[in-house]
Amino acid sequence: MNIKINNKKIECEEGKTILQVCKDNGINIPTLCYQENLEPEARCRLCIVETKDGKLITSCSSYPKEGMEIKTNSEKVKRARKVNAELLMPEHMDKCFRENKNHDLCRLIHELGIREVRFDPKKKYKVDLGASVIRDDNLCINCGRCVAVCDKIQSTWAIDFAQRAHHEHVTPYSEKNLNDVACIKCGQCIAACPVGAISEREHLQEVLKVLKDKKKHVVVQTAPSIRASLGEEFDLPPGTLVTGKMVAALRRCGFDKVFDTNFGADLTIMEEGSELLKRIKENKGFPMITTCCPAWIKFMEHFYHDLIKNKNMSSCKSPHEMLGSLIKTYYAKKANIPKEDIIVVSIMPCTAKKFESTRPELKSGVDYVLTTRETARLIEHFNIDFKNLSDEDFDPVLGMSTGAAAIFGATGGVMEAALRTAYELATGKELKSVDFKETRGLDGIKTGKVDLDGKKIRFAVANGLKNARELLKEKDKFDFIEIMACPGGCISGGGQPLPYEKEKIKKRIEAIYEEDKRLPLRKSHENPMIKQIYEEFLGKPLSKKSEKLLHTRYFKRSPF
Amino acid sequence: MQILRKPLQRAYRKAIKLGSKATIDLIKKKGLSGRGGANFPTGSKWEMVSKEKDSEKYLICNADEGEPGTFKDKFIIEKNPEALIEGILIAAYAIKAKKAFIYLRGEYDYLESKLKKAITKIKNRTGSETPIEIVIGAGAYICGDETAILESIEGKRGQARTKPPFPTVRGLYSKPTVINNVETLANVPLAMLYDDWNKNLRLYSLSGNVTRPGVYELPLGTPLCDLIKLGRPKNPIKAVFFGCFGGCIPHCDIPLHPDAICGKECMLGSCTIIAVDEKQSIVDLVTNIAKFYEFESCGKCTPCREGTYRILNILENISMKNADMKDLDTLKELAEVIKETSFCGLGQTSTNHLLNALKYFRSEFEERVKEKKTRKRTAR
Amino acid sequence: MSLLLKELKQIQGKKGYISEDSMKKLSKKMNIPVAKIYAAATFYSQLHTKPQGKHIIEICNSPSCYLNGSLNIIKYLEKKLKIKSGQTTEDKRFSLYICSCIGCCDKAPAMKIGKEVYTSLTKEKIDEIIKGLK
Repeated sequence: MNIKINNKKIECEEGKTILQVCKDNGINIPTLCYQENLEPEARCRLCIVETKDGKLITSCSSYPKEGMEIKTNSEKVKRARKVNAELLMPEHMDKCFRENKNHDLCRLIHELGIREVRFDPKKKYKVDLGASVIRDDNLCINCGRCVAVCDKIQSTWAIDFAQRAHHEHVTPYSEKNLNDVACIKCGQCIAACPVGAISEREHLQEVLKVLKDKKKHVVVQTAPSIRASLGEEFDLPPGTLVTGKMVAALRRCGFDKVFDTNFGADLTIMEEGSELLKRIKENKGFPMITTCCPAWIKFMEHFYHDLIKNKNMSSCKSPHEMLGSLIKTYYAKKANIPKEDIIVVSIMPCTAKKFESTRPELKSGVDYVLTTRETARLIEHFNIDFKNLSDEDFDPVLGMSTGAAAIFGATGGVMEAALRTAYELATGKELKSVDFKETRGLDGIKTGKVDLDGKKIRFAVANGLKNARELLKEKDKFDFIEIMACPGGCISGGGQPLPYEKEKIKKRIEAIYEEDKRLPLRKSHENPMIKQIYEEFLGKPLSKKSEKLLHTRYFKRSPF
Repeated sequence: MQILRKPLQRAYRKAIKLGSKATIDLIKKKGLSGRGGANFPTGSKWEMVSKEKDSEKYLICNADEGEPGTFKDKFIIEKNPEALIEGILIAAYAIKAKKAFIYLRGEYDYLESKLKKAITKIKNRTGSETPIEIVIGAGAYICGDETAILESIEGKRGQARTKPPFPTVRGLYSKPTVINNVETLANVPLAMLYDDWNKNLRLYSLSGNVTRPGVYELPLGTPLCDLIKLGRPKNPIKAVFFGCFGGCIPHCDIPLHPDAICGKECMLGSCTIIAVDEKQSIVDLVTNIAKFYEFESCGKCTPCREGTYRILNILENISMKNADMKDLDTLKELAEVIKETSFCGLGQTSTNHLLNALKYFRSEFEERVKEKKTRKRTAR
Repeated sequence: MSLLLKELKQIQGKKGYISEDSMKKLSKKMNIPVAKIYAAATFYSQLHTKPQGKHIIEICNSPSCYLNGSLNIIKYLEKKLKIKSGQTTEDKRFSLYICSCIGCCDKAPAMKIGKEVYTSLTKEKIDEIIKGLK
């Protein structure tokens, strides 16, 4: 199909929107409400372009027609964009001009050359200070991206629009706080928000405070996916592995020890793998479902009470909670530091981990959780030149890990890691190839089969909770299921660097599998430190001590 | 009145005899067009849906007559519901609808019993098995929009959908759907039955500063002056508003025909005429209409949601003599951008009245603005 | 095929408002997320999520009524009931709302109380209507 954009002839495929065609041809069109992979809602009216007959149409929801002539930057377009942006701006005036945040709307303001807004702020909403997610409706521009993500990706329906006209706003039902409704804290709404109206509940100030406290021994651990994404906050290209720099930077921030959540991941595999083998032996409790993802756990507690009743859920704590427990027991004893003086900070790609750390049944193995974004702010706070740091290694014992742990950050990673270990433990044979291709990739639901010494294990992997709902409809067809709340897994968790783009996510995933390949050991049970900790402290997987320190319970929560 | 003729199920029987295709052809031949305001040929709309392959199709009778100053549909439901129901059954038959809905606006809930009675009566007499369900709205002007009505029936917020796909392809529950106005459907049996049926007759809703307001059946092209005369205004009429959405013009000798009205940058729409006499202030009336839009905007798109609010704000400032000339420019710019970029018809037409008022009655606005300055001077 | 709007209207009619509890019950019954029910319930001006007075008065202030003096009637009502539009009287008998056109433009000014329509309003008529409802 041939069309003309800004007087230039352009050939385009059918089925692509005008916005996509423009993007493909390097023509920049501002958008606020448009999101990759979701149907355009055309609410914000900023992506408008002018047609030959002088009409303004939204490029996100319109398709080219043969012979169409479009102007993307005419005076009419510019004026309309400017007025619409101005209408969205009043509440942002202060913040955007003062702080110059990296949000879509603020960037737009600069692009459109708006220096003055003719309208006064009008919104007077109460800020919702949740345990993981903070929502400031005063900054909201009603683009609907968070609502769409909560509905169409996560099928959690914690928030929706309420009221109409200029009273329309996003809210949990009955104007409740997020803490009081079935919100799973996944933070995908934060990732979706183009104006920073939704953000994580910061633990940064608390962490800065304990870092100053001489009496406290502050230990930090970093999740598998952080090393593949933190670099982006310091202008390194997506997919750059910054493991060594990250460790170096955290030491310079004043953490007494830098441990690796990957160790906890290896430990999770030992426990979970053993649990699977036990269920195979007893021939009950299928399908067994992974429990690394705290957003999925909360989702399950709200909407899938049967899984608790039928004991489908693995009882394993998530990796960082396992490590937190060990730090406050095993490590405390070894280092001869009273448990009360140890503070554990987890650096996570995730906002749900913040909520998780407040669960009473976990007995506060982890004290504070920082997201990847907060960690970047922490490093900036200490004026550390991140890019030019030399690599350093994690602290010993609880800093050693395998490739199996490295891939926890991507959807299917936990499954693959578990299968590597379960296979060898069950069969006593060595795996020919450790790569389970069926678990990899960005498909919403992935399935496969593996033979564990006579028992065929049918496994399935889902990412994005809408996919999880689909998968759970057929859960009886499977023996082992991994579920991660965020699309793509932790690598695009709610705490990762903004903005979220599919290409970026792919690069991060590549980096993670690269790390797996690079490591000398790629199976959790081969980790010598894991062997050591079982010998010295825990006994064996699923021992009484392991059960006490590394396993947990689940509670039914209201579906509302 | 033509609209009050009683077809007595003869048109339905004729349709059954003709079959679906010939019925549609007959409606096309008679030249019946949509009375909701868009004047789309009714037969063509039916044809589109009848050609869709889906086995499930729906018919919706749009009785969400929300346009201020409009009450012709209410008039039909009160005076000739049988013709309406017969029209619905014919349409449902022609497009092979699985079910028909009447979306009755919440403000007309008292008409439900009348409709129900007519449904039972006509269905008994025709033997038609097409279910007709009355869905009563709950107070939202936007639900008069053909895609918002779908959302509303589906139990969602009544916000307009992106077009295309049009409802004829993906309508109610994603199935092909015909949405027709009450007046359109009531005319179906009349058009089918009577050779002297006049496609140009329209129901004009006349109200405002007239002593004889009401529904007048007159042909398209009737001079505005003639209609106003029928209304017997007490004082000379200064301006005419075509509902809220249709804009306004100074009272003049203009034929009431879409083309002529369009030439004045107004819209005849569903033939709503609100007469405004010289004792009224255009600024105050425009503010009143702005309040209506500020209340009824669905909130979906930026210009309509935020713009209607800002417009009302500025107009109130002008009314309160608390504005300056620069505000008039802002007002105009806002009004134009809302018109150019809003998502649906509500937003796109929400500033017609203001733009025209600024054009034809600018002096009234300027006077208010100037009054502020004089006041200030005396205060000093 | 279930119709949420119908259910909501029924609850509104029966209980005078749609409580949080009713929304949760409806959510279970219809398998619709409660956030979506709240979203729909707050969209429509005739549905209320807070308790209302026994009689909900909707008085029209659209152009035709406005041109025929609806503002005076509204002011009179507000003064008489000692509430502003959008509020409920202390004795919970009346809630007052200014509403959009109710299609009685030929008998303006007009108002609705429940399913009853009152037209060609005057102050005297208002007195009589309110008295009749007490």
